[in-house]
Amino acid sequence: MTAKRLRLIATMIITLVFLLAWVFPIVWSVLNSLKTDQDVLAYPPKLIFQPTLEAYRDVLFGSGSILPSLISSFVISIGTTIITMLMAVPAAYALARLRFRGKKFAGFYVLATQMLPPVGIIIPYFLILRNIGWIDTYQGIILIYLSFSLPFAIWLLVSYFEDIPFEMEEAAYLDGASRMRTLWRIIIPQVRGGISVTIVFVFLNAWNEFLFAVVLSGNTVRPVTVAMFNFVSVEQTLWAKLAAVSVLAMLPVVFLGVIAQKNIVKGLTVGAVKGGGRR
Amino acid sequence: MKPAIATAGTATGTASGDLGQVLAQRERRFAAALLAPAFLALLATTTFPLIFLVWTSAFRMDLAMPFADGFVGVENYRALLSDDRFWSSLLVSLVYTGATVALQVALGLALALLVMDMKRGQDWFRVVAILPVVLSPAVVGMIWRTFMLAPEFGIVDYLAINAGIGSKNWLGDPLLAMISVIVIHTWQWTPFAFMVLLASLASLPEDIYEAARLDRATTWQRFRRITLPLLRPAIVMVVIMRTMVALTAFAAIFTVTGGGPGTATEILNLYAYRKSFTELSIGYGSALAVALLIVTLLISGVLFALRRAK
Repeated sequence: MTAKRLRLIATMIITLVFLLAWVFPIVWSVLNSLKTDQDVLAYPPKLIFQPTLEAYRDVLFGSGSILPSLISSFVISIGTTIITMLMAVPAAYALARLRFRGKKFAGFYVLATQMLPPVGIIIPYFLILRNIGWIDTYQGIILIYLSFSLPFAIWLLVSYFEDIPFEMEEAAYLDGASRMRTLWRIIIPQVRGGISVTIVFVFLNAWNEFLFAVVLSGNTVRPVTVAMFNFVSVEQTLWAKLAAVSVLAMLPVVFLGVIAQKNIVKGLTVGAVKGGGRR
Repeated sequence: MKPAIATAGTATGTASGDLGQVLAQRERRFAAALLAPAFLALLATTTFPLIFLVWTSAFRMDLAMPFADGFVGVENYRALLSDDRFWSSLLVSLVYTGATVALQVALGLALALLVMDMKRGQDWFRVVAILPVVLSPAVVGMIWRTFMLAPEFGIVDYLAINAGIGSKNWLGDPLLAMISVIVIHTWQWTPFAFMVLLASLASLPEDIYEAARLDRATTWQRFRRITLPLLRPAIVMVVIMRTMVALTAFAAIFTVTGGGPGTATEILNLYAYRKSFTELSIGYGSALAVALLIVTLLISGVLFALRRAK
C-alpha cells in the first residue's frame, strides 16, 4: 500500500514538473508584458506587481506600431488558408475516392514534395520573385506558402474523406445527381469537421512560418514574427514591449489551439499516420 | 445528367462493358479536373524551384559581385567537399537532430505512460501540451533568448545563480549554446510526441494487459513485451516526422543564437541560408541546399527501411 502511495506521489511530482515547464515560459511572457519597464528589470524577478497595459498601448498605438504587422500576418494567413482549401479539398477528394491511372504516383508526389528542405525552395524562389518584382508583396508570400500548406492539407483531408461510407455517393448517383453536385451536397457536409481541423492547421502553419517570411518581407509586408525583431537590438532590448508583442503573436494561435483542442489531437495523430504535419 | 447512361444502356451485347468504360472515363476526367489546380500549384512551388535550384548550384552567382557570375559546373560541389564549415554544420545538424528526436521520444513516451495511468487530470495535460506546439518557433526562440536565458535577467540564469551554479553565458558559450538550442527545440516539440503516443496508448487493446496481469507479469515485462512492440509503429512515425523537422529547423536557432557563437549552433540548413542571404553567394548556397536535400533523403531512406523491417 505504501509503495503504491509512494509511486502515486512520485508520478504526481514528475508530471507536475512537466506541466510547469511547459506553461512557465508562456505565463512568464504574459506577466512581463503586464509590467512596467522597471518591474521587468527588477531583481530578483517580481511575481507580484501592479499590472499595467502600458506596453500593449505602446506597441499597438505608439510610434513604430506593430499593428500593420499584425494585419500583415492576418492577411497572409487567411489568404493562404482560403487558397489552400479551395485547391486541397477537390484534390483530396479525388485522391481518396476516385479511380484513375497514376493515383498512387499522385499520392506519392504530394508526400515527396514535403521532403524538400524549405531553404532549397526559398533560394530559387527569391531569385524568381526578385525578377518579377514580387518581393515584399502578399501574392509572393502566399504563393510560396502553398508549397508546404497544400501537401499537408491534402493528406490530412484524404484521411477524412476516406472515412465516409461509399454507399452515400452511390445512393446519390442512383438518384441521378452529377458528380460535382454529389461532392458539393453530399460529401463536403460529411467532412465538415475534417475541413475545420485542416483550416486551423493551415492557418497555424502560415501564421508561424518564419524562413520564407524573413527573406520575402519588407517595409510593406512584414508579418509579426519578423517585426518583433525591432524590439531587440544590440544597444537595448525593450523588454516589456517585446513581451507584449510576443503575447500578441501567440494570442491567435493559442486561441485556435485551445478551442480546437480535441480535434487538434486527432489531426496530429491522423497526420502522423499519413505522414503529414510539419514544423 | 443521365443521357450517357441511357444510351449505353440501350446498346446490346457489351452494354455493361461500354457503360463501365464511359463511367470510368468520366471518373478519370472528373479526377483530373479536381486535381489540376493543386498539382499545378505544387509543380510551380516545389518541383520547378527544385529544378531551378539544381541549375543555380552549377553557377557562380554572387549578388554582391554580379560581374564574376558564370557557369562553373560541379565546382561548387567540389568546393563544398573541402569546406570545413560545411562538414561542421553537417555534424551540428546530426547532433541537433539526434539529440532532439531522442529526447522528444524518450520524454514524450515516459510522460504518456505516466499520464495514461492517471485517474484524473489527463485533460489538463491534453490542453497544456497544445500550447508549445501551436506557437511559432520564432516567438518561442525569442522568449527563451530573453526572458528565460538572458544572463542576470532570465529565469534559468536566476535559478542557476540560486542553485550555486552561478550566472552563465547560456548562448555565448559554444557548448552551452548547443545545449540551449537542443533544450528549446525539445521543450517545444515533446508535447507533440507526447500527444501522439498518448493517443496510441489509449487505443491499445485492454485484454492483452488483463492476460498479462493474470500471468503475473511485472510492470517492466508488460512495458517491454507488450506496450513497446505495440507502440513501435507510432514511435517510428514520430521519429520520422520529428527528424524531418529537426533537420530543417530554422526559426528557433536563428532567433536564439543566429548559428553562433561563431558556427557552434549553425546547422546545415542555417549555413545554406546564411551563405545565400547574408553572404549573398546564391550559387554556393544552392549547392549547400542540394546537399541538405541529399542528407534528408538518405536519412529518411534509412528510417523508412527501419519502419518496414520487423
